Amino acid sequence: MSEQKVTFRVFRYKQGDTAPHYDTFTVTVNERTTVLEALQAIRRDQDGTLVIRHSCHHASCGTCGMRVNGKEVLACVTNVLELGTPTVTVEPLQNAPLISDLVVDMGPFYETFSQAHLPFVRRSEYLPDAEVAEGVPFHMRFESCIECGLCVSACPVVASDAEYLGPAALAAVWRVVQEPRGTEVPPLLDWVNSEHGCWRCHVALECSEVCPSNVDPGGNIMALRQELVRRALGLSHG
Amino acid sequence: MSSYHVVIIGGGATGSALAHDLALRGIRVTLVERGEVTSGTTGRHHGLLHSGARYAVKDQESAKECIQENMILRKIAPGSFELNDGLFVAITEEDLAYYDDFMEGCAVCGIPTRTLSREEALRLEPNLNPEVKLAVQVPDGTMDAMRLPLRFLATAKHNGAVIKPYTEVLSFLMEGQTVTGVHVRDHTSGKEYDIGADIVVNAAGPWAEKIARMAGVDVPVQPSPGVLVAVWGRYNNMVINRLHRSGDGDIVVPQRELSIIGTSSWVVDDPDKLDVPEEHIRLMYEKGAEMIPALKHAKMRAAWSAARPLIGSRGATTGRELSRTFKCFDHADEGVEGFVTITGGKATTARAMAETTADVVVRKLGLDIPCRTREVVLLPHTAYYTQ
Amino acid sequence: MLQETRALHPVRRRGWKGWFAVRKRHLGYVAFALNRLTGLGLVLYLIIHLVVLSMLARGPETWDAFIELAKSPAFLLLDVILLAGILFHGLNGLRVILVGLGIGVHRHKELFWGLMLLAAILFIFGAWGFLVV
Ligand SMILES: Cc1cc2nc3c(=O)[nH]c(=O)nc-3n(C[C@H](O)[C@H](O)[C@H](O)COP(=O)(O)OP(=O)(O)OC[C@H]3O[C@@H](n4cnc5c(N)ncnc54)[C@H](O)[C@@H]3O)c2cc1C
Ligand code: HEM
Ligand code: SF4
Ligand code: SF4
Ligand code: FES
Repeated sequence: MSEQKVTFRVFRYKQGDTAPHYDTFTVTVNERTTVLEALQAIRRDQDGTLVIRHSCHHASCGTCGMRVNGKEVLACVTNVLELGTPTVTVEPLQNAPLISDLVVDMGPFYETFSQAHLPFVRRSEYLPDAEVAEGVPFHMRFESCIECGLCVSACPVVASDAEYLGPAALAAVWRVVQEPRGTEVPPLLDWVNSEHGCWRCHVALECSEVCPSNVDPGGNIMALRQELVRRALGLSHG
Repeated sequence: MSSYHVVIIGGGATGSALAHDLALRGIRVTLVERGEVTSGTTGRHHGLLHSGARYAVKDQESAKECIQENMILRKIAPGSFELNDGLFVAITEEDLAYYDDFMEGCAVCGIPTRTLSREEALRLEPNLNPEVKLAVQVPDGTMDAMRLPLRFLATAKHNGAVIKPYTEVLSFLMEGQTVTGVHVRDHTSGKEYDIGADIVVNAAGPWAEKIARMAGVDVPVQPSPGVLVAVWGRYNNMVINRLHRSGDGDIVVPQRELSIIGTSSWVVDDPDKLDVPEEHIRLMYEKGAEMIPALKHAKMRAAWSAARPLIGSRGATTGRELSRTFKCFDHADEGVEGFVTITGGKATTARAMAETTADVVVRKLGLDIPCRTREVVLLPHTAYYTQ
Repeated sequence: MLQETRALHPVRRRGWKGWFAVRKRHLGYVAFALNRLTGLGLVLYLIIHLVVLSMLARGPETWDAFIELAKSPAFLLLDVILLAGILFHGLNGLRVILVGLGIGVHRHKELFWGLMLLAAILFIFGAWGFLVV
């Protein structure tokens, strides 16, 4: 595998700093190196004070969300050389409180998201023809949303409206409407049927562009609106 | 709450479960983790809620721990697992020859099994290699490697534990041969400070040896990495294991909209320096495809490695000969007071590891408070970030 | 305690500038930014338009002088820009209404380009009308 040197321009901020700044590092990468691995190498070999968030390394935990060259991605599945730029700029997510360097506080995200009361496990739509094993109630899988917050960082409405519920929480509510699993649906519909709820969205659909996990939050928001309209017209019950 | 203060080093599965256990027993706990919680081995593991069947022949102590903990976790962490069970599949005659030992091992360890014919197995899992001879159903499941420990942490926090991520232990505070706390750096501000403790617990997984050395004791932990490959799509609903003595690439764990093939095993000295050898990635595809042929052309989502904290004799070369059970070291045995190490084990057995360790901790503190983690239902993972 | 620690951390929010931060963004975002820009432009135009109309009240001389100005090429060019703005805003607005109601969500890009093709055709006719006729 051939190796190559790439420059990383990394957003830096420590609590107490008056303003953030950028530091530049040079890292040797190969065809497989991900942005996350490059950042880990920087922390290990060049600057032990770099703060990054990561856990699963395979796009399942959602912790490594950041802005790479101005776009929200999961660092663990973003290949450095495929970016195609000699300098790679790495910044934390927007619209969230900054803790340090590339790490933001996910508290406000979860504060809103958890109000959707989305159960973590859903019915699986994969292999519908397969028989279910004895003792297993139905084929199940985890919800697609990995709670990474990329959509919230990319949304132009969240940028100017701090009270907007945001794409992740709205998409989660749609999943509950689709498959309630014991959660009460009407209060959730009341929650999103509001000025800062699903009518606040301006259909930029950037959320669906950046979502790394097939959630299609924008599409879910439109589905929620349809559901609200149907209910208002008395066409849908339940 | 008691006035005793315990500092836990490491926010992986083990440290998280221990913080929960001690907090439930009313002890003041501070957990320090140098990165985000679960950023060590824990977040990167395969995601298998072990039934124990994998160890039922060779490592029965570990197998028994697994099946017991599997059943406890279903109770205390409801809604956190894909409970589609698992299959051990025999593909070759050689696999088939292992069947009797396997069934006997499972019976000894108390792991429930159900033998399925080739046809039955293919009806459950149509993507299985049609060569499959038979399959055995066991209570395997899928867990989210990060979110299960988050539930322990959320509950610990709720009960008063203080969790400090991005806080790295740089050295130990010692009075003679007694550990009295740790010196840490908060990476979010760059500030260094001391945290005093009656007991410090080293739950640093594969870093446990490095940490122990700071206090002048030796812990025989060998970091043993493995490669995992995630591919897009679910090719199976149940966890698919190869029915044979454990080997490379013999488990496919479906999770969300991915299938994860693992794993390999070798040994290294520095758990911060893990590469992802190209030939191991190829091996995962190859071995995975022996059980589920369609995996051969599956689109890769990610490939990564993680280091097991295996306890054992130095000099092991593949890591497979090392036991998967855990061990709690009271370093008073080596003359250092106030310092305990817990390592080894599995994410599946983290609660049991915590119970054993907390028993040692309260005994050292001269207390007698029973463990309650077998019954207490954990808060949802989101509560870790919202409190 | 939560509130306290939260308050310590600055939120990096771009505010209204975020609406126009289109670098690296996808079609829907750019269309949103342009729609907002043209919408505001149209409002501005409407105000100017009303001011001009109010000239009528001041008698025929002022009005005739304005009509002379309005026939100048520079002014006609402004009309053409206005036309482009109206067409973009109106037709993209149509798409926003449809998609916002859940119609064509997953074909929104095709819908956009289809409507823009229509806009281009109408624009060529319109501009031809302004400049030549
Ligand atoms: C490839 C692979 C697959 C596996 N698959 C499974 C599976 O499917 N199911 C299962 O149950 N188990 C599995 N395991 C085992 C399981 O992952 C581990 O046993 C478990 O995660 C170990 O947890 P831990 O908390 O002990 O260690 P870790 O998760 O490594 O936690 C130790 C923590 O200590 C921190 N630390 C280190 N130094 C310092 C310092 N100086 N200051 C502060 N903090 C520090 C680290 O950052 C780290 O987060 C697998 C392991 C591997 C390697
Ligand atoms: C041709 C008919 C028109 C249609 C179909 C239309 C449609 C729309 C739609 C759907 C929006 C909401 C966009 C969003 O949610 O992001 C909008 C916004 C707006 N429109 Fe129009 N519009 C039309 C004409 C006009 C005219 C003539 C003006 C000016 C006088 C105007 C001014 C605005 C303004 C200021 C906004 C707010 C900008 C924003 O929210 O982004 N529109 N229009
Ligand atoms: S579709 Fe709505 S939620 Fe999604 S980015 Fe656009 S404005 Fe935000
Ligand atoms: S909807 Fe998609 S982008 Fe948003 S938090 Fe969930 S996984 Fe991330
Ligand atoms: S590290 Fe889990 S999503 Fe990237």
